[in-house]
Amino acid sequence: MNNNIVITGEGIICAIGQDKQSVLDSLQHKHSGIGTMQLLNSCHKELPVGEVPLSNDDMRNQLGVRDTLINRTTLMGMLAVRQALEDAGIQCDTVKEKPIRVVLISGTTVAGMDITEDLFDQLSHSDAALQCLRYHSAGASTRLIAEYFDIFAEHTTISTACSSAANALMLGVRMLIAGEADVVVAGGAEALSLFHLNGFRSLMILDHEPCRPFDATRAGLNLGEGAAFLVMETEEGAKRRGITPHAYLTGYGNACDAFHQTASSDNGEGAYLAMTEALQMAGLKPSDIQYVNAHGTGTSNNDLSESMALKRVFGENMPLISSTKSFTGHTTSASGSIESVICLLALQHQFVPANLGWSQAIDGGIVPTLGEDHYHLEHVVCNSFGFGGNDTSLVFSLSRNDRLEIGNDAPRVIKELARVEITSEDQLAEIRDYVKPLEARRMGKIMKSSLLSSLKALRQAGIEQPDAIITGTALGCLENSELLLRQMVEEGETMLKPTYFMQSTHNTISSNIAIRLGCHGYNITYTQDQASFDWAMRDAELLLKSGKCKTVLVGCHDESTPFYRQLMQRLGYDEIPSVNSKAIVLSCGK
Amino acid sequence: MEELILDCNATLRPLVEELKEKIIEALNLEEMTPADIDADDALFGDGDGLGLDSIDALELIVLMEKEYGIKLANPAEGKEIFKSIRTIAEYVSSHRTK
Repeated sequence: MNNNIVITGEGIICAIGQDKQSVLDSLQHKHSGIGTMQLLNSCHKELPVGEVPLSNDDMRNQLGVRDTLINRTTLMGMLAVRQALEDAGIQCDTVKEKPIRVVLISGTTVAGMDITEDLFDQLSHSDAALQCLRYHSAGASTRLIAEYFDIFAEHTTISTACSSAANALMLGVRMLIAGEADVVVAGGAEALSLFHLNGFRSLMILDHEPCRPFDATRAGLNLGEGAAFLVMETEEGAKRRGITPHAYLTGYGNACDAFHQTASSDNGEGAYLAMTEALQMAGLKPSDIQYVNAHGTGTSNNDLSESMALKRVFGENMPLISSTKSFTGHTTSASGSIESVICLLALQHQFVPANLGWSQAIDGGIVPTLGEDHYHLEHVVCNSFGFGGNDTSLVFSLSRNDRLEIGNDAPRVIKELARVEITSEDQLAEIRDYVKPLEARRMGKIMKSSLLSSLKALRQAGIEQPDAIITGTALGCLENSELLLRQMVEEGETMLKPTYFMQSTHNTISSNIAIRLGCHGYNITYTQDQASFDWAMRDAELLLKSGKCKTVLVGCHDESTPFYRQLMQRLGYDEIPSVNSKAIVLSCGK
Repeated sequence: MEELILDCNATLRPLVEELKEKIIEALNLEEMTPADIDADDALFGDGDGLGLDSIDALELIVLMEKEYGIKLANPAEGKEIFKSIRTIAEYVSSHRTK
């Protein structure tokens, strides 16, 4: 069986362009999209951002979407998916006629936060404002994109913070190889929001000047926004459709740094493992890689840690390296797919994008490239690292991988070794048997219930460290997100608690467990409303059946607050538990 | 000289106690009381200290601004100031604007 996965279409919208051609022009002419804030309604105008210069109304007009509750993340996602489908020659009408299974996988975290934060102070009294909650979740954003095109057999959302879109692409490859999809449209979308602008500000990692990744004087990142989606299929599938592939996705690696929720380890262990795995899957040596599109955020911590990891992987064979966040800003959950499209443009047009703003090397850091107009590229690596140490590397190639190894197909029986459920706050006191009070100081309800249920399940199963941790959650750390929103509404955009923000991403749960266990294995978070758990289980089964893992910790964790329960009741939803955790340990044998 | 140091400690004592309470609250140090923290305990780093981390340091920066009107623009500035409750008290007493 030919398991080579090809890319046959790309769509992109970001600060440096609203389609592939304009992005290419900006990259080749070294025009950065980072500048003064024009659209985001923040008081922090001193912070440069990489905005898409279109209002929500502009985008709605382009798409013919009337519903004003459809948020910016979703609108940008629709624009990018539309371009990608067109590029791949997929016409929505023909998909409906022919039974091909097209799956949509999106990576996002912010989703509808821009509208929710705007209406937050009206939620308690306005039924009209309340409707925005139907559009709020990351899962809803993907569902809305899927509904707009009406060609997708299935859709799901991955939320691993800034590596979300890269993981969406990885899942796409895995589903295609497993035969669970004929065509995958995968990528990510993320709009700027006050929520995460202020969140990053509370972490003091936003530069007041245009960012300078890998420079000795770097002082943080600039946030950006955008969306990018790739159409992927098997080489045979593309051949059958008569489409010439643009490139191959030959390798991926997913690892967890398991170090800290908002900082990378000194030696970049997670990044090192992700890159090494990706190269191994692609059957490539470090010297086969000509270019790395680095995660390169411009923060003191990331750039040094990533430098260490790059040096460990490439040693004397250092390829050209640049961070194109110096063009787009850090587009967070969308960055993995935006930078993948940039890698594909580089491959197709044989040039290397610059690392803008660099002039002085970091002591012990890598030296990035200032760009090459003409350069022979055959294989490139794209790095995406997220909060919680969710690190992913992808390899794109112009040639197929003849060494591709896929786990053997011997049937494997999946066994459930343990299952622990937590359904009330009273049960959380037991966390004391596992975690010291000081270590639990920042853990909200969901962090305690997810950790406790997981540790108990692993103990029952007699397993110290699973090979993989897969989490499903509909809303992630709801309580902390609500606390940050409330603080922002009541006190304004200043002196916000960093603790609320660092624990507000969906993947905080899964990485908290990994950090606790020191587990560097595969780590991923699904968020697809009521189907979140099903997707987590499905991934666990895929992983076990592929032979890549022997034991997997699967969890589904959610929480609610009195305020949220009240809102959901008004919307007509059933009673939601205050805390609800389920942890399952699975293993497989032949 | 010794008398002077004692004197100085005495002036700082109310601020030290106030800081302990505020820090326990801001960092949500569950099950800890002011009596559990010595004014000279190392707050950060592994080993004997309290073992706080970079997020706690950011919380302390917020606390400095909110409670005492002290703005720290760079987390690195906090390193020396946040060594112990006593070093924080000394810094606050000489830099506070409210």
